[in-house]
Amino acid sequence: MTAPTTIAGNLPALPPAPRAGRRRVILVGTFFVIAAGTVLIGALLAGYFSARDLVQVAGEPWPPEEVRLPNVPLFMGYLTLLMSSFTAQWSVSAIKAHDRRTMYVAMGLTLLLGLAFVNALSFSWSQLGVAAESSRFATTMFAVTVTHLLIVIAAHIGFLVMGFRALGGQFSPDNHEFVVSAAAFWHFSVAAGLVIWYCIWFLEGGP
Amino acid sequence: MTETRPDGGTAIAEVPVPSPPPPSGLAGWLTTFDHKVVGRLFVVTSLLFLLLGSAAGAVLGAERIDSGLQVLNEVTFFQVYTLHGEVAVLLFLVPLFLGLATYLVPLQVGAATIAFPRGSATAYWAYVVSGLTLLGAYAADGGIGGDSTVGTDLYLLSLAMLALATSLALVSILTTAVALRAPGMTMVRTPLFTWSMLVGGGLTLLATPVLIARLIELYILNHFGGDLAEVDALGQISWFWSLPQVYVLAVPAMGVALEVVPVLSRARLRRHVSGIAVIGFSGILGFGAWAQVESTFDDLLYVLAGLVAVLPPLALLGLLGDSVRRGSFVRKAPFLLALGAAVHLFLGALSGGISVIPGLELGDTAWSAAQVHFSLYGGATLAGLAALWYWAPKLWGVHLSDGAGTAVFVLSFWGVLLMAGSDLVSGLSDQPLMATDFAGFDLATVLNGASVAGGLVSVLGLLLAVASALGAAAGRGTRALADPWEANTLEWATTSPPPPNNFDSPVLAVASAAPLADDREGPRASETEESTS
Repeated sequence: MTAPTTIAGNLPALPPAPRAGRRRVILVGTFFVIAAGTVLIGALLAGYFSARDLVQVAGEPWPPEEVRLPNVPLFMGYLTLLMSSFTAQWSVSAIKAHDRRTMYVAMGLTLLLGLAFVNALSFSWSQLGVAAESSRFATTMFAVTVTHLLIVIAAHIGFLVMGFRALGGQFSPDNHEFVVSAAAFWHFSVAAGLVIWYCIWFLEGGP
Repeated sequence: MTETRPDGGTAIAEVPVPSPPPPSGLAGWLTTFDHKVVGRLFVVTSLLFLLLGSAAGAVLGAERIDSGLQVLNEVTFFQVYTLHGEVAVLLFLVPLFLGLATYLVPLQVGAATIAFPRGSATAYWAYVVSGLTLLGAYAADGGIGGDSTVGTDLYLLSLAMLALATSLALVSILTTAVALRAPGMTMVRTPLFTWSMLVGGGLTLLATPVLIARLIELYILNHFGGDLAEVDALGQISWFWSLPQVYVLAVPAMGVALEVVPVLSRARLRRHVSGIAVIGFSGILGFGAWAQVESTFDDLLYVLAGLVAVLPPLALLGLLGDSVRRGSFVRKAPFLLALGAAVHLFLGALSGGISVIPGLELGDTAWSAAQVHFSLYGGATLAGLAALWYWAPKLWGVHLSDGAGTAVFVLSFWGVLLMAGSDLVSGLSDQPLMATDFAGFDLATVLNGASVAGGLVSVLGLLLAVASALGAAAGRGTRALADPWEANTLEWATTSPPPPNNFDSPVLAVASAAPLADDREGPRASETEESTS
């Protein structure tokens, strides 16, 4: 082994190098991404409420009267998304217990529930029957929900990568940082979805 | 090399497998994940975009020489105006500091690589593609005020992609600064440039999604036939380089000045933590994602933040002045450029503080252009150039010409001072921002002429700087030693330029904010107190 670099280390007064701590690079990076994503959703919702204020001050209805919210499929979609958060965390618990078979099941279920949410959201958009340019409600609503959809898809990609790496033999109780990070991002996408459901669908139409 | 089995069996020969040499040229650039190569690419590309931004600025300057439009029409004037701002900030200034940080932060914290090398490389190529797309969008008559819907779609998409690329690069840099620091390097001992990227980059990472959100809304509106003029599209984008967000963009400039001046003054800061505090305070005051519309001029918080924002640059000048006074400074180009940047940052903050005073109504006048030019052009850009002259030995293994650097300082410092100073007076005379018709302003011809002259002088300085940096990137210049400045931080503990894994051997414990200075001079009592506290 080569000699250590002489950096403040060849002086007798300096302390010895402390043991390097666990690095958690992926987890820290995920934290930064989640922080930026939280601001993104917050900014979109701020734009939505700002537009709503302008329209309501002008004496116009929000959402426009012709809009009929498909509350049941919307509610079921977001409920499905909430359930996926539990299965995502189940995959983390499974790898911590070194139970790879359960981890595969949990990952598969998470992806399936996520896809069910994507399906429910697409169906709800079609039921709304509004074009994006038809009103400020439609423009800002699509801005928020499409961005959230992209975040959910990004969470899917994270889980798919995790799945392939798990199939390749990676991850163990001592090495599951990527699993925790992917699950953390999944939880973020779910939390963002719930906030969006409350702010846009629940406040406007009720469940 | 051979080894013998413990059971005394036959010796096994390990045949070394030669690794293929890394590809060179374009193939090397396209496939590299080395943070040093990516950092250099960021720096050089940003300098090339600077040439374009300068050209756009020169065209705008030409329009100010006489009343009315001579070169452009109303639509193209507006497009060149927005192009100038976008290129200067999003394609030059931010990527320049991203490149410097991508290269230097891992070295400063003693890491072998950056946290997400592929992420950084992806961010660079996304930056290049979106930058070129932005130019293509303008060529297709897009942009705010453009007639082409498709061109404007492309414009909004390219800006959003630029913002995403910036965020991706920042995540990699910030994670490196947080998670890959050498043993013993606490946050308080973090080098000040790295700290400034942590603060400025962190706040930019939180502000960029707000810009992306606005761009998404504008894209949907424009793509489906809405009218961008109804929603003040320019205001929803330009806040990113206006007061107060402009101070966050300038935070890395403070980090550069606080690294360069004490080293070249041969006097460390009295207390490293004071630099940490000044940078942190400046970042907090500058976070402007909440201040996107002009009505914030009526907001007490906006006014207070604008007034208090004068304090960090003032404190910066105090810290630097104290180092210069106590030490025996070396009048090298990076020293001059860094000091000049600090002076311009202060002038920018001072003019920003005056502009928010209720009743003066300077917000929509040439005064605000002067404030942005002081902060970003005089402050951040001069600091970026100081960084290039200071860290060129690490970046390219050679020194940039000190004579050229001094000339760059003289031209840029005084050029920006003349340009922005003239605009301040024009602003006091109520000359509107982006004005082209100067009838009714008595001093308009003189002041605008002086502003244009100052701008051209400063552009000459920039051209000289770009030529010097490109020459160094091509390998021209005096070979540099590992630590030519007798500096304080870890990047100078390795060769110039560093080897593939940055350090030839593991980095030992860091016991202060200036480990190399400790090696030379012995630890200081104040540093030990700071680190224990």
